[in-house]
Amino acid sequence: MDLRPLVPALVLSVGCGGHEAAPATTQLAARVFAGGVAPPAGAAPALANPFRGDRQSAAEGERTFGAMNCDGCHGGGAVGWVGPSLRDGRWRYGGSESEIFQSIYYGQPHGMPAYGGLLPPGAIWKVVTYLQSLEPPASVPTQSWK
Amino acid sequence: MIRVTILALLAVLPVAAAAQRGDWPMPAKDYAATRYSDLSEITGANAGRLRPVWSFSTGVLGGHEGQPLVVDKTMYVVTPYPNVLYAFDLTREGYPLKWKYRPPVDPNALGIACCDAINRGAFYADGKIVYNLLDGHTVAVAAATGQELWKTRIADLSQGETTPVAPFVVKHRVIVGASGGEFGIHGWVKGLDLETGQIVWTAYNIGPDSEVLAKPGTFRPFYDRGAELALTSWPADVWKNGGAPVWGWMSYDPGLDLLYYGTGNPAPYNPEQRAGDNKWTASVLARRPEDGTLVWAYQFTPHDSWDYDAASEMILADLVVDGRPRKVLVHFDKNGFAYTMDRASGEVLVAEPFVDVNWARRVDVATGRPVVDSTKLTGASRGNVKNVCPTLEGGKSPASPAAYSPRTGLFYLATNNMCMDYQATRATRIAGTPFIGATTPYHAGRGGHLGAFIAWDASTGKTVWRTTERFPVWSGALVTAGDIAFYGTLDGWFKAADARTGKVLWRFKVGSGVVANPITYTGPDGKQYIAVYAGIGGDWLLLSGDVRSDDPADVRPPADFMPDIARHTSQGGIVWIFAL
Repeated sequence: MDLRPLVPALVLSVGCGGHEAAPATTQLAARVFAGGVAPPAGAAPALANPFRGDRQSAAEGERTFGAMNCDGCHGGGAVGWVGPSLRDGRWRYGGSESEIFQSIYYGQPHGMPAYGGLLPPGAIWKVVTYLQSLEPPASVPTQSWK
Repeated sequence: MIRVTILALLAVLPVAAAAQRGDWPMPAKDYAATRYSDLSEITGANAGRLRPVWSFSTGVLGGHEGQPLVVDKTMYVVTPYPNVLYAFDLTREGYPLKWKYRPPVDPNALGIACCDAINRGAFYADGKIVYNLLDGHTVAVAAATGQELWKTRIADLSQGETTPVAPFVVKHRVIVGASGGEFGIHGWVKGLDLETGQIVWTAYNIGPDSEVLAKPGTFRPFYDRGAELALTSWPADVWKNGGAPVWGWMSYDPGLDLLYYGTGNPAPYNPEQRAGDNKWTASVLARRPEDGTLVWAYQFTPHDSWDYDAASEMILADLVVDGRPRKVLVHFDKNGFAYTMDRASGEVLVAEPFVDVNWARRVDVATGRPVVDSTKLTGASRGNVKNVCPTLEGGKSPASPAAYSPRTGLFYLATNNMCMDYQATRATRIAGTPFIGATTPYHAGRGGHLGAFIAWDASTGKTVWRTTERFPVWSGALVTAGDIAFYGTLDGWFKAADARTGKVLWRFKVGSGVVANPITYTGPDGKQYIAVYAGIGGDWLLLSGDVRSDDPADVRPPADFMPDIARHTSQGGIVWIFAL
């Protein structure tokens, strides 16, 4: 049975479920796949975080952030390194939970590998939960010197 | 009639120009990697009258490492990613472009390059400009026209390999290597055919003798005996992701027919995952350029526990050591020791610290091994090891090559005065992602200044003079027959110093921090010119805090060990030319 016609309906139903509308998923032709494994083709995963706000999940996500070498580019504590900070409330590819999920799942141009072939959606959602648990700075930074 | 035809042909076919005395045809000017020029118009008496005569924005932000080339009245400039190649016509007012070459470069490389998207420059040979694109390709471009002659894929992004290194050409071989010590690559060098770009040989730096090209009877290291050294100094299979990248500079002795290069760190940074010496990481290797055969090798930092890459240049010089004239190579290692070695045999003649060093007490030249302070050994089970000197930026960075003047007999180099804490953690290799396993915050070394520019006597292993700098010094050095040494600083000053005393004679603020290598050349008007890039980056993109202003989604807090660097510089990308 061909399930493809069901996919848009699935995404649509998520969008109608009281969460913000899911953006179209972006599949780039060429990318780096973490571990050399491409995300599964076909159905996009559901785009609502089942662990939103859960502290236990955030702690698990933090461990995954280290174990999967995310800190190698984004720095320990996601403060930024060769890749940008993920805790300052500023997002190159969007900071909604569905946008962060897709950046991890499908990767992004300019170097973010696709982890969708290596991590199950639940583990990615826990990383999203961890990143969203980080408090962004209270004010816009200004540096001044005497 | 025939004669007319030949003349017409000559007019159409660009004739490959041979590099002239006042040119700068390869990264370090010569095969010996001296970065010395016998031009002498600029001297101690007139250097104070240097002035900028031209500048050009490359249109690219980020670490402008490397150096321009000058051949046949043309200046060639390679930018950081996306690796634009510019050719400036030095015969015309304002140095307009003759051409520019815009290769496609895979943006995925940006996430695989450990430390900014830098490029270390091009090499001119036989009418071709040869250089590497960040995404694992080597290209050859016609110097006269900018036309692409060949393009060869040499490296694999999906395995963590990127290619910022400058190629090195010996006769008809183009020697290239790959970065990726932070991604667990299996490090190598390759020899390409200059005419076609075809890969002729591949030599790994670690693994079985058959892949390392260590052949019985040909491979004779000075300190080691036996076979399969690069295999048996590792746990089973760990060498396959053991690092040993090639990202620094190469040199060549035509008399001995030996190519010299240094290898980077073993992976991961957590040494407990790779028991043994981990040969030939953090080493110098001497090979035959024609077929890659390994002739000798020496490991500066066995079982490296501090990310002490040995990617720095091997400068070839003839020095008197202990009263005997010796053909030596001189190497300033990240680990803080300067090595003077017999370049035919690989014997260490002198090894002395050129910055404060505390991970080892000394190097035993009889065995070739450092005498390590066991309290500075790192590893995941050892917790946070405090105050290791120097840092993994190096006592000197391989990114900032030294210069040697046969007139003064001294070596000139940028140094860092920093120490680090080193907390290793277990790392997991996932292809195409970082494979590191350590957190390593820095602090200033003794005296509080973060860097210095020094002159070094490699015969005795002693510092002759030292000019301290507030920030780490990360530029290459240039020295001339006018006895002037040139260098740049991270806060954006370009300086001319008296090569005999170190006294700064002139300086100019170039608009962004300098992590590039100055060159000098004779212009079409016969005058001596000096050129250098401005453009802070490389490791300093990661370490300087808020020096980038091009991305509202990437605003960084100040670096804790140099909080005010962003007061003095932001990113940039400018080619500068100076003259009297």
